[in-house]
Amino acid sequence: MELIRTSLRALRKALDDKQISAAELCGEYFKRIEAVDKDLLSYITVTKEKAMKDAENAQKLIDGGKAAALTGIPLAIKDNICVDGVRTTCASKMLENFIPPYNATVIEKLNAQGYVLLGRTSMDEFAMGGSNQTSAFAKTKNPYDLERVPGGSSGGSAAAVAASLAPAALGSDTGGSIRQPSSFCGVTGIKPTYGRVSRYGLVAFASSLDQIGPICNDARDCAVMLNAICGHDRHDATSARVDTPDFTEKLGQPIKGMKIALPKEFYAEGVDDAVKTAVMNAAHELEKQGAVLVDCSMPGLKYAIPAYYLIACAEAASNLSRFDGIKYGFRGEGRTFEELIRDSRSRGFGEEVKRRILLGNYALSSGYYDAYYKKALALKQEIIRQYNQIFEQADVILTPTAPTPAYKIGSQDSDPVKMYQADICTVTVNIAKLPGVSTTCGYTESGLPIGMSIIGKRFDEQTILQVADAFEQGFTPAAPKL
Amino acid sequence: MSAYFPTMGLEIHAELLTKSKVFCTCSAEFGGTPNSRCCPVCSGLPGTLPVLNQKAVEYIIKAGYVMNCDISRFTKWDRKNYFYPDLPKAYQISQMPRPVCLSGTVNINVNGEDKIIRINRIHLEEDAGKLVHDDVNRVSLADYNRCGVPLIEIVTEPDFHSADEVIAFIEKIKLLLQYAGICDCKMEQGSIRCDVNISIAPKGSTELGTRTELKNLNSLKAIARAIEVEIERQEELLENGERVIQQTRRFNEQLGETTAMRSKEDAHDYRYFPDPDIPPIIFTEEELDEIKRSIPELPEQRVARYVDEYGIKKADADIIVGDKRVCDFFDEAISEYDNPKAVANYIIGELMRRINLGEVDMDALKFGGREFAQLVQFMQTDKVSQANAKTVLREMIENGGSPKDIADRDDLWIKEDNDLLAKVVDEIIANNPKPVEQYKNGDQKVFGFFMGQANKALKGAASPKAIQEYIRKKLSE
Amino acid sequence: MAIEIKTIQHLCELSKLDYDEEGMKKVMGEMSDIIDLMDEIKEFDLTYDDTKDGNEIRFGDTREDVPEESFPTEKLLSNAENTNGCYVVPKVVE
Repeated sequence: MELIRTSLRALRKALDDKQISAAELCGEYFKRIEAVDKDLLSYITVTKEKAMKDAENAQKLIDGGKAAALTGIPLAIKDNICVDGVRTTCASKMLENFIPPYNATVIEKLNAQGYVLLGRTSMDEFAMGGSNQTSAFAKTKNPYDLERVPGGSSGGSAAAVAASLAPAALGSDTGGSIRQPSSFCGVTGIKPTYGRVSRYGLVAFASSLDQIGPICNDARDCAVMLNAICGHDRHDATSARVDTPDFTEKLGQPIKGMKIALPKEFYAEGVDDAVKTAVMNAAHELEKQGAVLVDCSMPGLKYAIPAYYLIACAEAASNLSRFDGIKYGFRGEGRTFEELIRDSRSRGFGEEVKRRILLGNYALSSGYYDAYYKKALALKQEIIRQYNQIFEQADVILTPTAPTPAYKIGSQDSDPVKMYQADICTVTVNIAKLPGVSTTCGYTESGLPIGMSIIGKRFDEQTILQVADAFEQGFTPAAPKL
Repeated sequence: MSAYFPTMGLEIHAELLTKSKVFCTCSAEFGGTPNSRCCPVCSGLPGTLPVLNQKAVEYIIKAGYVMNCDISRFTKWDRKNYFYPDLPKAYQISQMPRPVCLSGTVNINVNGEDKIIRINRIHLEEDAGKLVHDDVNRVSLADYNRCGVPLIEIVTEPDFHSADEVIAFIEKIKLLLQYAGICDCKMEQGSIRCDVNISIAPKGSTELGTRTELKNLNSLKAIARAIEVEIERQEELLENGERVIQQTRRFNEQLGETTAMRSKEDAHDYRYFPDPDIPPIIFTEEELDEIKRSIPELPEQRVARYVDEYGIKKADADIIVGDKRVCDFFDEAISEYDNPKAVANYIIGELMRRINLGEVDMDALKFGGREFAQLVQFMQTDKVSQANAKTVLREMIENGGSPKDIADRDDLWIKEDNDLLAKVVDEIIANNPKPVEQYKNGDQKVFGFFMGQANKALKGAASPKAIQEYIRKKLSE
Repeated sequence: MAIEIKTIQHLCELSKLDYDEEGMKKVMGEMSDIIDLMDEIKEFDLTYDDTKDGNEIRFGDTREDVPEESFPTEKLLSNAENTNGCYVVPKVVE
């Protein structure tokens, strides 16, 4: 069976029509993983044994005519989402041997459909980074150019889908961690509205910003995945009590008359010309389909990076305090509690994670709280206000997903400030709790994918998926040669 | 007479009587084998999230009402960050800038004088686990069963100037929380705990001195003693021209002294910030009204009702209400036998006397208010003599059972045997001509002698009333 | 603005992280640059109103007080050094 960029719908049909069994299908993916992933390094753990059992169970459902959308579909799961009995490392030495005794809610939901787990995809350590180069175990490469980064932090998930080592994957997005790697790897990824998908079982980076979402071959598959994982969860008080629509419902509907806002700050200095050109070309493509382009402004973007890093790192510093070597994770040495905890943390965490913990504690510490953390919260309110203003005159917002295409490994991922600034196009969406989808809108001369982001109103994933799909229908993606 | 006067403020932690923990569904009950009342949430596994227990919020609102606090219409939770092995997440979920309850008052009575203590705030937080130290192996063993049990922290203004006031206040708070049904207030199990902030200043001074915080106070006795000892220590320092250092001190009950805890404690920077996992809560007036209406009758109201409606003496009512278990027992008793005065008298005169003698514990009573009331009724209606009633009560205390069954079994009923009565009294009168003579000459006091003799001889075969009537009749013949 | 060594040391203390001499030098430089970036937010002068975040829930949306079965102790402790159902912690020094 052809696996290259095969959609979930096509796989569903093949399984339902008995062209292939669930076990054969995941077997095919494992063959590809074996052949390709030694160079790509998108997986940290491959769960072959479990997959075969999963597939067997799924096959019974299929044979019994009880298949749901994802029954028997093999999926890759980012290594920060807890799966009962399956090592979940967060790409950190700290959790190298951590085996969660419980399932994340999204995993329970996928289990209910009878999905098949292919394995755990690599990421930046504790989801902190945009290059996958802070992973302690698998520094993933970009499938379009193995000398370049796949983006991050869900770089393993994006690279695996791009290289057809999984038909779809789950990632998590705190400041762009689904959208930016999707853009770098030429696939489609959606960060749902904050509260749309339960965070229970997602190892927290920044709790007020984190959101799980799918990375797929196209917007239609994203809708299928989202249908499976969203909904209020009694284990997550921040999961929203809102109705869950069928996210495929608006796909294919014309976008005529839809107002698409282009905030000028997202197209300013610092964004590559190639990126600007590709996104603007896409905008005009949508215009041709009847959409109306609206000029607008988001002056708050200027302060978005410090606001984001202050909030995210403050929460992270607190969230990561539980890693002390006592209850789970890397246990260092020490005769006293104090010695043990310092040794465990100093050796268990990588450099970027440590920097962010230090920064977070700086922002929260006595004497600095008002000047940094509280200021960041004020800015968060201002950014939300500015987004609301834009949405008064537009249905969706269109921006580049990242200022550049995938860059060379080692070129900027060692300079924290540069790395932080590269998140400029994505972080405000998390700050404002909005949904955002990134899809490929073009390629550079050397063939690297360029992504654009469509940002929607809160809980209006349907519309951004509709717009992304409208563009994708007239666009031919180029799969990487692997 | 000391040249200084002390000023104190209290921080009282009380565990709430919810069925489940405050942020997860584990049982909040006391005890259990180590880590048996735990789940991924309360043991801080990565990825888990807290979900707030509605009952805990309801209870703290009740606590606020019984202490006359303002209830915030908007309240939120914060993380207090510090590393300690009894705190699995390395932060405690608590409340900083927006506690549920603010600025209340509680009336206390100390040595006959009324005084108002101001409450600064009451907030909701989670309890920590327990560490058992194994000195031989130089390790500690952590048990998280108590992790996540809901606590309220009551913070008072520095309104106390004597240990008596502190004790009176704690006793009052215990009663209020017990009557409101939100805490069992068992100090020995740690379900209510108290820290004392204490400073002294020269008499007449308007400024407060440097304070210390006393911890590890496990009983009212320890609190009173610790305050006394700490005041003495601070006075001695000032007398010697030294300064009091702001620090946390632990009271050692055996040695009767306070010692400084590691100074690091004071250098803590807890980095409070709003917990992003727990959304703030808003209350409607209707919700608050409903909670307010559901508060059971409080001690002061009960005393007033007993005095006004039942005609019980204020002092007796205070005694009964002063222990909620006794009070509930009393209420149950009078629902069986509607003679509050008689029931109250027998509770105070007989039951509590035995409790105070240590013969029985209110928590381990083998009978209820109903059985007790039946006994009082038998006595009041001349079915059982007073002497036999005591026998029945003793049996009830020792082995339980209903007074009727005991009286049946041990033949303790008054039998109204008039023939025997006549025979016995006639004999007594015949054998005691001298007292008969005295009575006839107008000495009423000897009547008691005849009653005593008759009672002794009849052993409950006749009611006191019948005996009395018969003796009077015979003597006046 | 270069961050002072004692500030970094304080942050390390709060974070329970240790660096060797070389690591400390490196992280000081990096943190100085990062904090310079963060300082840009100081220009921004609006105040935060915590009641205006719009993320509050109603009292009735909190969890009902119904206890459920706890987790098997053994499974809970499966990632920890443990004995007699307890986590083993090196002695806490006071």
